[in-house]
Amino acid sequence: MRHVLRVFWQQLFGRDERARGLRNWHTSIAPDSATSTTFFLLMRRMRVPLITLITIFTVSVVGLTLVPGQDAAGRPAPMDVFDAFYFMSYTATTIGFGELPAAFTAAQRLWVIVTIYLTVVGWAYAIGALLTLLQDRAFRQALAWRRFSRQVARLREPFLLLAGYGRTGELLGRSFDALGQQLVVVDKAQDRIDALDLAAYRVGVPGLAADARNPHHLGLAGLDHPYCTGVLALTDDDEANLAIAMTAALLRPELAVITRTLSRTTAARMRDFGSPTVVNPFDRFGDHLRLALRAPASYQLLSWLEAGPGAELPPRADPPQQGRWVMCGYGRFGRELTADLEAEGLEVTVVETTGNPDRSGGLPAGVQDGTAGAEESVLAAADLGTAVGLVAGTSNDVTNLSLLSAARRRNPDLFLAARQNRPESAPLFAALGVDSLLVPTEVIAHEVYAQLSTPLLWRFLQEMPAQGDDWARRLIERLSRDCGTALPPLWRTDLSPAAAPALHRWLQDGDARLGELLRSPEDRDRPLRVVALLVRRGDEVTVTPDPDLRLRPGDQLLMAGRPADRRAFEALLSDDSLVEYVVHGRHVPSGWIGRRLAGQPAGRR
Amino acid sequence: MNLEKVIFGFFVLLAATLNFGFFIGDISNSALHNVYELLAAVVVSLITTVLKFGDRTQIGAVHLATSLVADLQLVCAAVVWAWATKISATGLTEGATASVVSLSGGALLANLVSVVLLVVETASFRRS
Repeated sequence: MRHVLRVFWQQLFGRDERARGLRNWHTSIAPDSATSTTFFLLMRRMRVPLITLITIFTVSVVGLTLVPGQDAAGRPAPMDVFDAFYFMSYTATTIGFGELPAAFTAAQRLWVIVTIYLTVVGWAYAIGALLTLLQDRAFRQALAWRRFSRQVARLREPFLLLAGYGRTGELLGRSFDALGQQLVVVDKAQDRIDALDLAAYRVGVPGLAADARNPHHLGLAGLDHPYCTGVLALTDDDEANLAIAMTAALLRPELAVITRTLSRTTAARMRDFGSPTVVNPFDRFGDHLRLALRAPASYQLLSWLEAGPGAELPPRADPPQQGRWVMCGYGRFGRELTADLEAEGLEVTVVETTGNPDRSGGLPAGVQDGTAGAEESVLAAADLGTAVGLVAGTSNDVTNLSLLSAARRRNPDLFLAARQNRPESAPLFAALGVDSLLVPTEVIAHEVYAQLSTPLLWRFLQEMPAQGDDWARRLIERLSRDCGTALPPLWRTDLSPAAAPALHRWLQDGDARLGELLRSPEDRDRPLRVVALLVRRGDEVTVTPDPDLRLRPGDQLLMAGRPADRRAFEALLSDDSLVEYVVHGRHVPSGWIGRRLAGQPAGRR
Repeated sequence: MNLEKVIFGFFVLLAATLNFGFFIGDISNSALHNVYELLAAVVVSLITTVLKFGDRTQIGAVHLATSLVADLQLVCAAVVWAWATKISATGLTEGATASVVSLSGGALLANLVSVVLLVVETASFRRS
């Protein structure tokens, strides 16, 4: 029970280091004029309707007090101002309580006829004007912005600023939501922000429909908020991404910035500002394909871990390591991939199907030049019978699909790789049974997720290719045996004295073996079904440490395991008596009184 | 000549003069304070307030504040008058009249500040 309380306490009060900066925080780059201008405009436009209303009321009330009236007994009794105002108030608003305080004379009724038409028109005009203003686009936008900036200012946990909520953003949003990572979204299109509302995230994600190229809008979205930990520029416009990366680098140089681009020149320009992480999906796909050629199991593990928690183990692709490949489409993607394949020592025949003279001019020697729609003749020239693989890499999904199907008919043994440009085409590519599919949005989403979910995962993925294919195969087997074929959550465990107080003494003894720790707290003879993927000590890392590894205070572990096992493991970090049992097999009373009675020292504290 | 300024000045001054007209006279003698003048003062004060809406300058903000004060005081005076004549058993006594008139006196002060602001604004206006 105590460790639960301690964890609770830590959650509640343990991470307050940024709150100090928050007190003095106000957005210096967010505009304050845009919203207030709209409110002043609203007030100005209400001037005429309100004055009209006041005038009509005054005329009616004064008129009613001047018209001769009589009371119930028939004595002359003109209405006074109070009664007249009361009568006009309920008449003008069409409530109509009747003739009060006494039945009206004919003269009064005559005047009331006039006032009814006057005041009803006046009210209708004033209310109509107000409703029109409330419907006004600029006014509604001002309200939305104000609500958004208030939501952002109220955030009290680290968040990522996501600019561009396209397909990539949606995938990332889902993964980060599963991790409990807060996001703030800016997208140019209102319907994308509406999609954000429909996405039903567990945490509320503030979204703003605005142009992220404008630094003011980024400021509104919390770029200078003390809890902002990173900026993701994932719009489909390279220049916008460059502008966002530039803004973030100039205004908050310490923030992590991740941008996407399809072109190397833009990537180079982005790197001129600070040190953003630039993700080029074509480049990454080439790297992945090279890894798949060299070590299929490593590639399988990589794509599994990058796909985020809950992802099913992908099938192991087995691209042919030798032979001739045919590359269809020689745009940016084709160039990247051809270079990658040639670097692996493979022969590549390039086929350009667009017939674009600009592109044909830059084609390397030995390239077949075809024309659009004539896949048959192009493929005939590429001599598919002797090739081992084909990449359909044009920017048109229909062309890619027809290339793939024509190629399969000619040579059923071909390894087929393709580039999917539009999310709608996904079922078509799946039905065709492509061996390796590039979906740029997914590549970016996985890459960003791997970099930001936990820093140790990124380190692990960097170290992974060097471990070899057999190692990867064994690790996949172990993971799927212990945790199932859906990827278990990965998490970082810090063995510092602050984060793992119960383990400190044991770790300091110098003989703390990892294997002793990974036992079930219910029955120490049973191993805990968690897998230690990585141990980091200072700058050194050990990938898949063996049970005999000696842990030291300050080590950081990257663990994988199902939530129940994770809870069991994390309970160990702060409960002395559990550690005593799991490590030494001793049952120790957990309470202070129990320990006193048992004659033992009452813990470290 | 700016028509908006004319209308604005007219209403600011009219609010102050009507208020003054109601206020002047023996404070407890209800015969000297016409209720229609109070009504006119309330109405013109409300119109003046609306005219001051949506001015973003500093002096515009102070204008609006003084007008709101005047409205508050005059509406209070009207409510006290209605209470005394309609609800209270004693009717419009000398004390009640004094309350109404003194409340309108407070509004007069706010209206005077408004006029001073208007004059200051006009005097400091330089044709460039």
